[in-house]
Amino acid sequence: MNRSLLIYACKRVVYAVPTILGLLVLVFVISRVIPADPAALVAGEMATPQQVEALRKQYRFDEPLPVQLVLYLKRLAKGDMGKSLYSGRKVFDDLVDRFPATLELTLVSMVLSILIGVPLGILAALKRNSVLDHLLRGVTVAGLAIASFWLGIMLQLFFSMWLGITPLGGRIGMSVDPPASITGMYILDALLTLNGRALWSAAVHMILPSLTLAFASFATITRFTRSGVLDVVQQDFITYERAMGLPPRLVIYKYLLRNAIIATVTQIGLLFGLLLAGTVVIETVFDWPGLGLYAFNAIVLSDYQAILGVTLLAGIAYVTVNLLVDIALSLIDPRKAET
Amino acid sequence: MKGFRLAWKKFTRDRLAFTGFVIIFVLLLAALFAPVLAPYPEDTFQIHPADRLQPPSAEHLLGTDSMGRDILSRLLFGTRVTLVIAVIAVGVSLLIGVPLGLVAGYFENLFSEGIMRVADIFLSIPQVILAIFLAQSFRPSIRSVILALSITYWPWFTRIVYAETRALKKRAFLEATEAVGAGSLRTIVLHVLPNVSSSIIVRSSIGMGFTILTAATLGFLGVGAQPPTPEWGVTIAESRQFLPDAWWYATFPGLAIFIVVMGFNMLGDGLRDILDPRIRRGFD
Amino acid sequence: MEGRGPSGKGSGNGVTRRDFIKSVGMGSLALSGLQLHPLRAWAAESPRFIWGGPSEFQSMDPHAIYDVTSENLRLNLYDHLYRYLDNPPKIHPWLAESFTVSDDERTWTFRLRKGAKFHNGDEVTAEAVKYSMERLLALGKGASALFKPVIDAEGVKAVDRYTVAFTLKEAYAPFLSIMPTFCVVNPKVVEGKAGPWGSEWLSQNEAGSGAYILEEYTPGVGWKGKRFKDHWMGWEGKHVDRIEFRTIHETASRVMTLMKGDIHGCDGYLPVEQIAKLEDARDITVYEEQSMRICLIRMHNQRPPFNDVHVRRAISYAFDYDSFNNEILKGRVARNPGPIPNNMWGSPDDLKGYSFDLEKAKAELAEAKVKVDRPLNIHPMTGYSQTDDAALILQAGLRQIGIDVNIIRETWPTLSGKAKDMDTSPDMWIHWVSTYYADPENWIGEMYSSSRWGAWKASSWYKNPEVDDLLARARTVSDRTVRKELYEKASRIVVDDAADIWIYNTKWYGPYRKSVKGLRFCPVGNGQECRWIHLA
Repeated sequence: MNRSLLIYACKRVVYAVPTILGLLVLVFVISRVIPADPAALVAGEMATPQQVEALRKQYRFDEPLPVQLVLYLKRLAKGDMGKSLYSGRKVFDDLVDRFPATLELTLVSMVLSILIGVPLGILAALKRNSVLDHLLRGVTVAGLAIASFWLGIMLQLFFSMWLGITPLGGRIGMSVDPPASITGMYILDALLTLNGRALWSAAVHMILPSLTLAFASFATITRFTRSGVLDVVQQDFITYERAMGLPPRLVIYKYLLRNAIIATVTQIGLLFGLLLAGTVVIETVFDWPGLGLYAFNAIVLSDYQAILGVTLLAGIAYVTVNLLVDIALSLIDPRKAET
Repeated sequence: MKGFRLAWKKFTRDRLAFTGFVIIFVLLLAALFAPVLAPYPEDTFQIHPADRLQPPSAEHLLGTDSMGRDILSRLLFGTRVTLVIAVIAVGVSLLIGVPLGLVAGYFENLFSEGIMRVADIFLSIPQVILAIFLAQSFRPSIRSVILALSITYWPWFTRIVYAETRALKKRAFLEATEAVGAGSLRTIVLHVLPNVSSSIIVRSSIGMGFTILTAATLGFLGVGAQPPTPEWGVTIAESRQFLPDAWWYATFPGLAIFIVVMGFNMLGDGLRDILDPRIRRGFD
Repeated sequence: MEGRGPSGKGSGNGVTRRDFIKSVGMGSLALSGLQLHPLRAWAAESPRFIWGGPSEFQSMDPHAIYDVTSENLRLNLYDHLYRYLDNPPKIHPWLAESFTVSDDERTWTFRLRKGAKFHNGDEVTAEAVKYSMERLLALGKGASALFKPVIDAEGVKAVDRYTVAFTLKEAYAPFLSIMPTFCVVNPKVVEGKAGPWGSEWLSQNEAGSGAYILEEYTPGVGWKGKRFKDHWMGWEGKHVDRIEFRTIHETASRVMTLMKGDIHGCDGYLPVEQIAKLEDARDITVYEEQSMRICLIRMHNQRPPFNDVHVRRAISYAFDYDSFNNEILKGRVARNPGPIPNNMWGSPDDLKGYSFDLEKAKAELAEAKVKVDRPLNIHPMTGYSQTDDAALILQAGLRQIGIDVNIIRETWPTLSGKAKDMDTSPDMWIHWVSTYYADPENWIGEMYSSSRWGAWKASSWYKNPEVDDLLARARTVSDRTVRKELYEKASRIVVDDAADIWIYNTKWYGPYRKSVKGLRFCPVGNGQECRWIHLA
């Protein structure tokens, strides 16, 4: 890694900070517009108005918004994400507990969609207008058109309810003890502890959620890889080089492959966002106790600290992945770092 | 005119695109003539508890829901809801996103930097999460869904237009037009916009489909349209607790979403091939 | 021993350090498990009883939460001084053996059972009871809303090791009735733990004396427990040694999981189609019990047009009770025309209430002085589709007498939060009032006393001096027959005033695997107490 690359990486990191700060402010402002009274939530369904008032003071909900924001940022700087109003636990603990479930689901889905999507996308572009291309075009267009919650429900209906061969939801069988926690990801932990029973159960539970989640992103990545490769194919310099008499095969390797990889790596950032968003729905459908389900519950329950926490985490994760993508791109294509 | 005819010819030859066009045309007809086409148009609000959860039959082609309402009729009326949401949300996003993207891409100053920073902030969180959050904050309704989708979707246009404009700027001919003395606005409208329009169209096509999907998702999660609105996502959510027995209740609204979104995607896909001038110089 | 698990962490701050400890700790556990298998061998002979419910556990702290879902941890991990059992609910001495009331009916003295032990072996003493009440009042959450109007922390005294006295602010007849909502925690375990009154720690651990010990709590998933062999009541006959309460959000999933045999039981308020299916299933028994859980539509009596009794009566006549109870719910509920459940004392036997009659509705509307000049809002609860159905039925009925209704779905926390303020309180909303304690005070007393305004149960903002007087008297008199008369009289007036739209009283249809024996249902807790059951 040379110096200009390092400078570029640093620059990108510095750039990410105001984005996350802005995100925080955005979410914070919206969260205070939510109609429900946060103090009444803390107090619980049986509380009297006096109790609600006391809690309002305790949590300083009566302060002006900017003051509340500063208070929040200050605490955040100390690594304190506050407490979930509803569960009474530290948001940080909630997030740590839920994160591995979502990470596992997302990783499996991402690997699935890349392994299938990228090769198919390149193939479709190179064999443009072949039967394969048309077939893939149909499949990917369909993949982007299916509502993932509906796909999940249909898969449940068919495979779980009618055929009875896959579980309906959850991460592991009811009567199976989860593997000893090392990473929190059941499949990995089961492998590490050589727990065959847990491995089998966790893997079986992973099938439907990961397929559902991967379906849309598989379609996206195929589609974008195809059009990415096509864009390159149609760019003038390739035509030029062909005109200059370079053998087509060399042209393909020299430009196409590299540019296809660039296009794909670029898509990983988008893909990650897609998957992250998908988890909210998929986890709701499959009762997957991860961040997506947590985020949804936090939002419908107007659990402010939790919303801020999970949004922050999603934002940081997304920004980080995109940062890594950019840096990876600059490694593949050093010209990027110069701009 | 000749160009148009050529495009139309190419368009009708592109089976996918044409199918998409037909689907959307049918969708428009369905939305327009829903009161005539629906066997039980009053079922948008009328309930018949005694006919609860009837399987598909000659009387009710797609069965009835938990309130004894005809699902086919409600699906037909649902097309109106879906179209209104998607058209307004994408339209607003276009109106906000494209000009911002052009300006940010064309000029290289603090203002354009600011635009992209703000867009980045919106894009630094998955759209669905932010949209759920917004829809819930506005208090769940169709209007909230439209607002939430517009607010969260414009940065996609901005980012793409921005990227394309920047790429374009690097090419020589823009500098040439400026050297000739064309004004910025003129250059943007006459030279930049046409060159980025194919990306905008692709994005809009995906956008229409995407917006319909997200709106349905919000409905499904309970933060979108409210009962008795015959919105498709809401219907699927209502149906879940009657599975697997009332399979028709969940299946048909999902199929409706699928077909409509598919229509927009196919149309967009086809239009891209037709409108993108570079493709004509492509390999084939 | 206190409950511990992956989430039962101490106060460690750094991620790395904690994760390190966690992984090492759990790693060595796993190793010992691999070598010795003591738990596994035991597990093979006694299957775990698993119950699936729709809601997540918000917290494990018995003083922080108070809803029907969390009843299972309060009943199984903790003990009360008195406890309700069976149906109709009867109050039984539990940690207390007996009680006396002073002549002015203000001081209630409870005599504790000797030798009752917390899970760590400490004895349950008067000091622990005193600490628990102080903790409940100080935290101001959960069931504290029941006790705060009645008693201060100064009013609790540990007279000796086994005697605890509660001196009330004023005489309060249902005091014994609300006692089974109050859990006793072990102060020696809770003190010094993270959070005020150890609340942070207790929200994911346990410090009780109940029949089961918390093994593991996983937020969003559920909790597991094992039998406490030294429970004061002793153990006779067959029992289930290990229990688990799981969250399975989706109704269809719960039912399928139960039918496949992965869980042993689930919640008893399912959609009627699912109940019918379960009744037909071979390995499932659906227990049918008359419960005490009324469903009603609230109306904001202080806001026009609901401030006119004729408008309220018109709306009451426009709801198709028969369609709802018999067609949608297939007759699996009992019409309940008034605010107190039919099977609770204090509900008049001959109460007729309202029926679906659009002519009468129109007539009442014509008499009304306040005109209905705007669409009315009704709020079903997100996740409770029956409330959607009820809203649609009312909407359809009112449409026929020319009143427009907007349906706006909101969540329980949002609605119950708004219902505490007269300005934000909804026009109309739909909910149930379950048996938090078995006394008419739980329903009519908390719902229609203007002195209780500001609590969600009082969200009709009903005010009638005569009713206020009747209910206040019923609160202070201890004679059951006098109280019964007062409540019956108040019921009739409230119904005549059409304060709300009362729809039905629930029956409970608890689906369990046939292997589950000895189930003991009580409307308080809905049969979630595990010490009575065993698996065949």
